[in-house]
Amino acid sequence: MASTSSAVGNGSPAVKWLLRVVVIGYLFLLVAWPTAYVVRHTFDDGLTGLRTALSDPDVVHALVLTVQVSVAAVVINTLFGVGMSLLLVRHRFVGRRALSALIDLPLSVSPVVVGLALVLVYNGRFGWFGPWLEAHGLQIVFARPGMILATCFVILPLVVREVVPVLEELGDDQEQAARSLGANAWQTFWRITLPGVRWAVVYGVVLSLARALGEFGAIKVVAGNVGGETQVATVLVQQKYQNFEQQTAYSMAFLLVFAAVLCLVVVALLRPKEGHR
Amino acid sequence: MSIEVNGVNKRFGDFVALDDVNVSLPTGQLTALLGPSGGGKSTLLRIIAGLESADTGTVTIEGREATHLPPQKRDVGFVFQHYAVFKHLTVAENVAFGLRIRKRPKAEVAAKVEELLRLVHLSQFAGRKPAQLSGGQRQRMALARALAVEPSVLLLDEPFGALDAKVRKELRDWLRRLHDEVRVTTVFVTHDQEEAMEVADEIVVINEGRVEQVGTPDQLYDAPANDFVMGFLGEVTSLNGILLRPHDVHLSRTPQLAGAAEGTVSRLVRVGFEVRLSVLTDDGDDVTVLLTRSHARELGLEPGAKVWVTAAAGAMAVPAMASVATG
Repeated sequence: MASTSSAVGNGSPAVKWLLRVVVIGYLFLLVAWPTAYVVRHTFDDGLTGLRTALSDPDVVHALVLTVQVSVAAVVINTLFGVGMSLLLVRHRFVGRRALSALIDLPLSVSPVVVGLALVLVYNGRFGWFGPWLEAHGLQIVFARPGMILATCFVILPLVVREVVPVLEELGDDQEQAARSLGANAWQTFWRITLPGVRWAVVYGVVLSLARALGEFGAIKVVAGNVGGETQVATVLVQQKYQNFEQQTAYSMAFLLVFAAVLCLVVVALLRPKEGHR
Repeated sequence: MSIEVNGVNKRFGDFVALDDVNVSLPTGQLTALLGPSGGGKSTLLRIIAGLESADTGTVTIEGREATHLPPQKRDVGFVFQHYAVFKHLTVAENVAFGLRIRKRPKAEVAAKVEELLRLVHLSQFAGRKPAQLSGGQRQRMALARALAVEPSVLLLDEPFGALDAKVRKELRDWLRRLHDEVRVTTVFVTHDQEEAMEVADEIVVINEGRVEQVGTPDQLYDAPANDFVMGFLGEVTSLNGILLRPHDVHLSRTPQLAGAAEGTVSRLVRVGFEVRLSVLTDDGDDVTVLLTRSHARELGLEPGAKVWVTAAAGAMAVPAMASVATG
């Protein structure tokens, strides 16, 4: 607490308490209360709400689809994210800054726009690549590849932005030492670089997984919203809610929140094992 | 010769780091690359290690052309100024790294690691993480790690630069003893002339990307090739157009020697057993003179005292601005 007070300055105790109340009140009204409300409504009738929801095949399908699309997107994004971070930090090339800026683009572009853009490029009738791909038996838009693509776009910066600062701080001393000890590029990456950034990667993965599970706009446009086929959990929540199946909507919302909290708990549990630093 | 560097040039943009450097370093010796910061000595070491590539010129290690070999194929051990320890591995795993990469049998690796940890006095820390070691211990671990793969050449880049003065001195003595024990060809970079003089068999003085002089510590100190080498290896003062060491200035209260310059003591500082004087000569030279405390007392020196100064018999001196004339 001593450091907090010195950081705030020489404010009086009253100011300190006021600041705390404002911050806690803000978080309560913005995050804690609405989330708690969802949880409370889910369990209005005990477990019946969840049970009813999970007996609906559309709900189960949407949940499974959400997990499949999210996991696929997160795996792809992690591979590319780590690769791109290495490229950005360890190499100097023309257009490096432009690439770096491009990676941040998904943060500022509305996901709905992303979805529309993907539909324009990949749709089977008049898109740039769509007709060719479809002729070769690969449907992108209104199918899983498109949904994975949209999710990848949205979570693109999350792994890179976690890994880049850690790589920068790590420096390349350890990598050079490994090279001088006889390790080739792959061994150096696998034994030295990756363990050095593993926590950043874990955080990036958890963040992008949470973001992927909750993605709505881009995936709704790309997926086409066919119940039982290309409908993901978030989209189904909206539909159920609008169809006055509130109980099911709350139950699914609860499951999404639960998954997100689970992610955070897993990270919190893993973290102390990092060793005595 | 163990390492041959021929006609190496290296530029970083407009900055010339190395300018046509030719050096040959003998097998089994401890050589220091000595020079001021930014003079190119670290760049030369990194080019030998393959961590940096030369723009032109060749590097030969133990008779093998190495100019275009990647670092892992050069058979060199490298020790970094900031240790470059593998933070996520234990001390023993750090030392074992090179052997595991080479897929040596487990028993052999374990035996070698144990032997090396004993050599660097870190046996009791084998299971610890590097973060739990002091700077000196980390650097000894890094040295053991580099020695584990039995390199033909050991390269150290300012190995003690990040350590405090006391640990520095200890490690310096220890490196000398270690080298006498292991006898691997060793090259280390330093900007500390005392460190180089104390530890090295041979010193290569590098300044502004060029080799100024190569020789044993005695040769360099007694016969510096130019005023830069002389100035870099120890304190100098100028008197009557020559450079000489402050302890080589003969000082008297009466004109005894021919050619002695007349002047007055402008400042007098006592540091331990020595007394440092600034003498302002009538010709305008500000000469620094170093005397023992008893000698100064015997002469009865005070600020403002009239004195005569000249180079002592047997003083080693070089003409001032020699490097301007040759360069």
